[in-house]
Amino acid sequence: MKTTFPLRRPGSVLARMALSALLLGALGAHAQQAAEEPFWAKGRPKGAATANMAPVPAFPIPTEADKLPVAKLKLPPGFKAEVWASGILDARGLRQGDKGTVFVSSLFVAGKIYAVTDKGGKREVKTIAEKLFLPNGIEFHKGSLYVATPKDITRYDNIEASLDSPPKPVMVYDKLPGEVPHGWKFIKLGPDGKLYVPIGAPCNICDPSADFAKIVKMNLDGSGVETVAVGVRNTVGFDFDPKDGSLWFTNNGRDWLSEDLPNDSLNHVTQPGKQHFGFPYCHQGDFADPEFGWGKNCNDYAKPALLTGPHAGTLGMRFYTGKMFPSQYQGAIFIARHGPWNRSQKYAADIVVAWPDGKGGIAKMEPFLTGLVENNEYLGRPVDVLVMKDGSLLVSDDHNGAIYRISYAK
Amino acid sequence: MALLLCAAAGSAVAQGGGYAERFASVCAACHGAQGVSTQALTPTLAGQPSFYAITQLFLFRDGRRDNAVMSAVAKGMSDDDLRGFSEAIAALPAPPPPAAPADPQRFVRGAALAQRLHCTACHGADLAGGKQVPRLAGQREDYLLHALQGFRAATRVGYGPAMTEALAGTTPQQLEDLAHHLAHAGAAGARP
Repeated sequence: MKTTFPLRRPGSVLARMALSALLLGALGAHAQQAAEEPFWAKGRPKGAATANMAPVPAFPIPTEADKLPVAKLKLPPGFKAEVWASGILDARGLRQGDKGTVFVSSLFVAGKIYAVTDKGGKREVKTIAEKLFLPNGIEFHKGSLYVATPKDITRYDNIEASLDSPPKPVMVYDKLPGEVPHGWKFIKLGPDGKLYVPIGAPCNICDPSADFAKIVKMNLDGSGVETVAVGVRNTVGFDFDPKDGSLWFTNNGRDWLSEDLPNDSLNHVTQPGKQHFGFPYCHQGDFADPEFGWGKNCNDYAKPALLTGPHAGTLGMRFYTGKMFPSQYQGAIFIARHGPWNRSQKYAADIVVAWPDGKGGIAKMEPFLTGLVENNEYLGRPVDVLVMKDGSLLVSDDHNGAIYRISYAK
Repeated sequence: MALLLCAAAGSAVAQGGGYAERFASVCAACHGAQGVSTQALTPTLAGQPSFYAITQLFLFRDGRRDNAVMSAVAKGMSDDDLRGFSEAIAALPAPPPPAAPADPQRFVRGAALAQRLHCTACHGADLAGGKQVPRLAGQREDYLLHALQGFRAATRVGYGPAMTEALAGTTPQQLEDLAHHLAHAGAAGARP
């Protein structure tokens, strides 16, 4: 750690401080004991190139509709991007209700849940809950909106009929650890009728207790918690294969190892409750952790189906099941990449599309929506995707507080 | 007390004009000409990153940072005002070092604490801050202490408990040493 002294007054201060430095050893032991660094900074290499790398929160003012980077968005031929809704501070998770309402979650900048309704082609945004603790995880099922924070899961019943006066939430499950690091959620209802809930590692890299780094599922009343997968560092996006109902999830790789290692990944749970996906011992299926990987063999852990780039911030994902896009997109997976904060060269901040190979893996990945990185800065940062009932694809962008709609016409 | 004396400034928000001029009419009465405060417990704004400044204005406007005067001022501000004032603040030259020299013993005790608490991990080796993280270099010592006490007591919370967690286990005396250190350590970071 570099220490600088006030060079202007060397005689009066510097000399005396040099003397006083000798007294440092006389301080109480508690002053010498190192306190915890912020969790994201642990493992950060020393040096100027990394000194200013830190997670950047969403800008506290949503971008006005006419200033959104929609003209910058690049898509394959035939696809069109438009602003679907704006002015939604910190817009992150997306879910659609039975009556068409789009629910939008947020993280610490807003701490709100929004409901967006379509009024004759214009979108109306309502805040239906606020002052919540990192309410990133939402799911809609049978008229109820489920909201997951790092601490608990609550339920807002009959929500679409009461957007102007939302009901008091009902507690579903209040035994989540509540840790902030990787504690915010992505939740989803499985084809087995259970609610799937991740519990991320409470650190960048550590060997956590069995309470962490896993995906669990539970009954809709919070009972019957079962483990689905372990060794999962931090998933903020998953979906169920429309072909066989199996779970696929994105995972954020550890930080600070190097600019280009390890990759984030897309993973496939083929044996629920039996697979270990490597954290903290093995990253991206073939790279043993320099600290925790000694004595471990990467072949003992489930391999990722797809690598999605180093520090890419691979978040929300959804199988395409709509009718609007060309048939080649049927059953493909759209994946949002938020873009790295801890990498010198910014990239991603896009939507990629991955095609399952029909044998449990992924055949190929292609860029789908790009154009949000300019001059090594982000013009926007995608978080989640949602296949609408009409087959169009919504994309949330927390840094602009906006939602884009991607449609296709021949 | 100083905060109450300055309460009159809030009414001027709605004026037009460039934000540098509006800063002079709305903010300077308390925060000083060029954003270098001479008022007790009132922060120097000069050299704060615009992202930090707009985040604080946002938290005041949203009622999530507790200060009656600043909340009243910010409630009258539009999104454009938040952007304009925060950019005007960031454009002000960094503040000069404090006039009075540091007390060597307090400075060294505070330096040891700053190292133990990893202050520079977020605020930078030169304590100049960056993006959403405030500049500490050149800040008033009494305001630094007030802010540290608020974080320590969890009466001031930003987006999350990071500062409260960072200060867990510190004593009131240690916070005084830390504020003294930060106020003067910053002096080295201010270029002539």
